[in-house]
Amino acid sequence: MIPLCLMILEKMLRTCLYEVTKCNRAEIALSLLRENKNGYDVVISDVHMPDMDGFKLLEHIGLEMDLPVIMMSADDGKSVVMKGVTHGACDYLIKPVRIEALKNIWQHVVRKKKRGVEGCGAIRKCG
Amino acid sequence: MDRNQLRRQVAHMRSSLIEQNYLDQQQFVQLEDLEDDSNPNFVEEIVTLFYKDSSRLFQKIDQALHSIPMDFARLDDYMHQFKGSSSSIGAIKVKNECTQFKECCLAGNAEGCSRAFQRVKQEHEALKRQLETYFQLRRQAGLVQRS
Repeated sequence: MIPLCLMILEKMLRTCLYEVTKCNRAEIALSLLRENKNGYDVVISDVHMPDMDGFKLLEHIGLEMDLPVIMMSADDGKSVVMKGVTHGACDYLIKPVRIEALKNIWQHVVRKKKRGVEGCGAIRKCG
Repeated sequence: MDRNQLRRQVAHMRSSLIEQNYLDQQQFVQLEDLEDDSNPNFVEEIVTLFYKDSSRLFQKIDQALHSIPMDFARLDDYMHQFKGSSSSIGAIKVKNECTQFKECCLAGNAEGCSRAFQRVKQEHEALKRQLETYFQLRRQAGLVQRS
């Protein structure tokens, strides 16, 4: 069962000319990332997920793949946003997400790579 | 009625729905902007999904409201999901009632939760009727292809 906001997010990202892989389970996302470490440039994850806390996923990705992770949530409380920052999220989007907020997420990929992280994933910018 | 008149009717209905706070302008218009030749029915598909979602969640909420003792954490969780869906399609009035419900969960107010849920369902139903008319109009105006 794919959540509604995920379908909308996918459509928005594709409109911005990003290539998108969506998962409704964090565990599936993790195994996809593990199977193909260089196949992805950035991860966008909800804070509130049925099978795993978004911050837990963020930790896993930070330790194993070191990809930029953008958190998103309907919760705009300061403590949650702070939690995202302290756990290493490179950005925090408040839902409902506007397409304008997605257009420039490629900057997080460039920033990470500039910091000398090894990887050969392609950067796909929006047109 | 010619196509231009129909299109004006569609635009008028959209403005009216926004003015009456059924729909959030930015969110809903943004969704319609995502439609293109490859995906001309996107908004209607999303809304159909929304109703499948809500049907499923309402059943769960109903069950949970009748369980003794009431599991407020679970109710809050279900409503959080529904609130997320509602706001993603720009359903303001529905979303506001979800917020009320969640506040009752936080306060452990069983009676309040039941009443709030009735209002959520009412707003949900009202929006559903409006959107049915709206999509019918869009189809007539040739803005949406028949799938």
